[in-house]
Amino acid sequence: MSEQFSRRDFLKLAGVGAATTAILTGCGPASRYVKREPYQQMPEYNSVGQSTYYATTCRECAAGCGLVVRTYQGRALKVEGNASHPLNLGKTCARGQATLQGLYNPNRIQGPIKHVRGDRLYDSFSNPFLDDINNAPANMTWDEAIQVVADALKNYKPNEIAFLMGMAPDHLFDLVTDLAKATGMNAPLRFGALSMFEARATLSKAVENLFGQPGLPFFDVGAAQTVFSFGANFLETWLSPVSYTRGFAGLREAETKMRGKFVQFETRMSSTGAKADHWVPLRPGTEGLVALAIGKLVSEMRGGAIPRAFSGVNPAEAAETAGVELVALENLAGMFATSNVLAIPGGAALGQSNGLEIAEAILALNALSDNFGQPGGVYLSPLAPDQTEYSRPASAEEMRTFVEKMAGGAIKVLFVHGVNPVFELPKSLGFEVALTSVEQVISFATFPDDTATGADYVFPDHHSFESWGYQRIATGTSQPVLSGAQPVVTPFFDTRSTADVLIAAAGLAGGKFASALPFADEVEFLQAKVGALLSQAGGSFDAPDAATFMAYFQQYGGWFRNADARITPDGSGVLNSNLSGSVAEFSGEGEFFLVPFVSPTLAEAGANKPWLQELPDPTTTVMWNTWIEINPETAHELGIENDDVVKVVSELGEVQAYAYLYPAIRPDAVAIPFGQGHKAYGRYAESRGANPADLLAAHFNKAGDLAFGGMKVKLEKVSSAERGVGLSRMESRMGVYGESMGEEH
Amino acid sequence: MIKKFFDWLKQPLGLIAAGIVFLAVFSAFAYWLYTTQQAPAQPVPGFPHKTHVAFGIQCLYCHPGASKGPAAGIPSQSKCWGCHNQIVKTRDSALLAPLKDAVLNGESLVWVPVAIVPDFVQFNHRAHIAAGKNCEDCHGDVSQMGIYQNPQVFNMGWCLNCHVETAGEDQELLIKLSDCGTCHY
Repeated sequence: MSEQFSRRDFLKLAGVGAATTAILTGCGPASRYVKREPYQQMPEYNSVGQSTYYATTCRECAAGCGLVVRTYQGRALKVEGNASHPLNLGKTCARGQATLQGLYNPNRIQGPIKHVRGDRLYDSFSNPFLDDINNAPANMTWDEAIQVVADALKNYKPNEIAFLMGMAPDHLFDLVTDLAKATGMNAPLRFGALSMFEARATLSKAVENLFGQPGLPFFDVGAAQTVFSFGANFLETWLSPVSYTRGFAGLREAETKMRGKFVQFETRMSSTGAKADHWVPLRPGTEGLVALAIGKLVSEMRGGAIPRAFSGVNPAEAAETAGVELVALENLAGMFATSNVLAIPGGAALGQSNGLEIAEAILALNALSDNFGQPGGVYLSPLAPDQTEYSRPASAEEMRTFVEKMAGGAIKVLFVHGVNPVFELPKSLGFEVALTSVEQVISFATFPDDTATGADYVFPDHHSFESWGYQRIATGTSQPVLSGAQPVVTPFFDTRSTADVLIAAAGLAGGKFASALPFADEVEFLQAKVGALLSQAGGSFDAPDAATFMAYFQQYGGWFRNADARITPDGSGVLNSNLSGSVAEFSGEGEFFLVPFVSPTLAEAGANKPWLQELPDPTTTVMWNTWIEINPETAHELGIENDDVVKVVSELGEVQAYAYLYPAIRPDAVAIPFGQGHKAYGRYAESRGANPADLLAAHFNKAGDLAFGGMKVKLEKVSSAERGVGLSRMESRMGVYGESMGEEH
Repeated sequence: MIKKFFDWLKQPLGLIAAGIVFLAVFSAFAYWLYTTQQAPAQPVPGFPHKTHVAFGIQCLYCHPGASKGPAAGIPSQSKCWGCHNQIVKTRDSALLAPLKDAVLNGESLVWVPVAIVPDFVQFNHRAHIAAGKNCEDCHGDVSQMGIYQNPQVFNMGWCLNCHVETAGEDQELLIKLSDCGTCHY
């Protein structure tokens, strides 16, 4: 204390300050007031004070889990899984839960807009706590909008019109397919970043090559003894994560059987890999070689002739190439030889130039356990009740062909629904540039996403909780399932169902357009499609007439055939097939393998939901940002510390992000999550983090999937971590590897 | 310097200045306190609960959720208008103009509930009705109220007091009714 300001003075002032604070804070109202808006006209099946529940289908990914949404006075309040839905049995994932934040998103497009390409669809700088959200206002009526669509259909040749659609919903895809078939328009293309990172085309092609019929494999993880997963992130986003998570619980369950074992082979530890008993870090692109080596070692241990499939590989060389110890492979082979092993080829392993060979080699391992069509083994997923053959989404190579058509001027009108290709497709495919060559771009986006920003018109579809529809369950359950969707709330804004817009526009366009869609509205179309199941026996419910059938379809959230309809693949020739242990080719001059992976929390479309942004990444606990995972040893050599800004340079471009020193990645690789880096998509997503798709070159594997794992990149440190700037993490890193403890790591 | 300031404060001029500052701060604080204690504006000004009760309308007629679930609920405006439309005096009353406008224009009346508890309290009306409590036990004599006002603060001491009294000598019931998880889960 100085001479002028005594200790006593200080205590007096502090006392007065504390007393004032206590008085002021204690006098607020007991609780913040809220507003309640009762129904104007209450539906008769509602009761004041009682919640009403509606069954519908999740549209946050294409898996199609059944949901039951609690509504109160016409507002959707809470999402739960539909317990009677065979796919998810009452469970949901975090992204399903966050659907509500899409419904109530402040940056939804609120009505039909005629839009100047490139103009902003909302003002990202408005204060989220005030009402002035400043979204682009609707500037046309729906009648004008429908006229625009009708003119586009009528004034262009059918082969100049194209539809680009997302993986959901299926009913709209069917409607557009019907329209295209009847009028000669280009058949609609479906694409999603998840299907690209899952390498679905490769999976289906490998199944076709080995078993003679295409299909999406179904891996019965729940009944397996041991699972060897090669880069399958089945607890995160892969194919049907809720169903596979349940399967994983079954694998680990240890009261009625032995606890199942789980081995994960991958370059960086995913949150699925973090659950493994053994985690084997492989050099990217060597998964097939390792699978064949394990196959050969197992055959040798069991004695007898080495099957032809595995005879061509030298385990010692394979181990050397893959960067693992031979003894590790021998131990795993020993484990394999005494157990029934389910081998799963995941997307991270298949996104390589030799992805198809890798998929075949991994699938072939299952032949050693002879588990095709057996509990705990490999099946082909059942087809949906109204399906006769498997259909897969477009591969990246097919997308490139499409983009080339756009750029060449062959596509004059492009309709986009349910997908955001400017963000989801690698920049190297040139979608954004090709979009400028299309005369008229009409987006049906619910949110002002990166693609809608480049459109001439935005005719917003309802949010999935305001929509009708159905979704075929592609995999994850033994039953054929047609999952039903219905509106759980009335639309908040002046949006309109895209199916209704197309039906009305086709009617206006007349001729074969009108006769292709002879329906009054979307619901009539649905009744026509779903009603066809009425005559089928063996379903989850029967109904005396079409109206009752539709009512049950809504009530139960879909129609499920009761029988196990999984297809047993014909694996008789697998061990005698010719499998090559080729090594992947890499493009780029850098010294590090680039491992792009899908963010388990955000996936391709979650970035505009704050719950998901705030949800810590399961392995790193990072929130709200993009990070680059670097092995601490590598980082030390390069002089990189945590939270340094690092530039990753590929042959195509560069992205910057904060460094995250991650011990569970190979020292010769760096990994970046996919999910952030939007240029639009609302205030929570825009200009946040970086998009690794900007780095990916247009190299494909033999099945046409993108070789997204086939890049080599350079690392450059841009700037050192500044105090107070960096990644927000849920976990403090103090003490981890000696950080902040005054010692070198 | 601060000593100089304190010395000056002890002079008559300083005392007057301190008094003015004190008065200014005190009145600003008093005004602010006053504003926090005002009832929020409601869409139908002066809504008379007492008139409705006097006509013999039961609480549960407009708030039926109380006997069925957590929230008593606010009636839909079509329910209000269902009666008021039939009564000549209220059909064209200026006092009811907000209701009539809302019904005719298809807009909502936005109410501000005042009998509320914080989000961390899982209050359920049904259990209280089922235990034989009457509405007025907690909400007071609504037959004398215009716009509803809470007869007391709904705080935890008040809740627990009644829970303990209700349990009486029954130790098992006391444990159930005073367990944290009964209301906070």
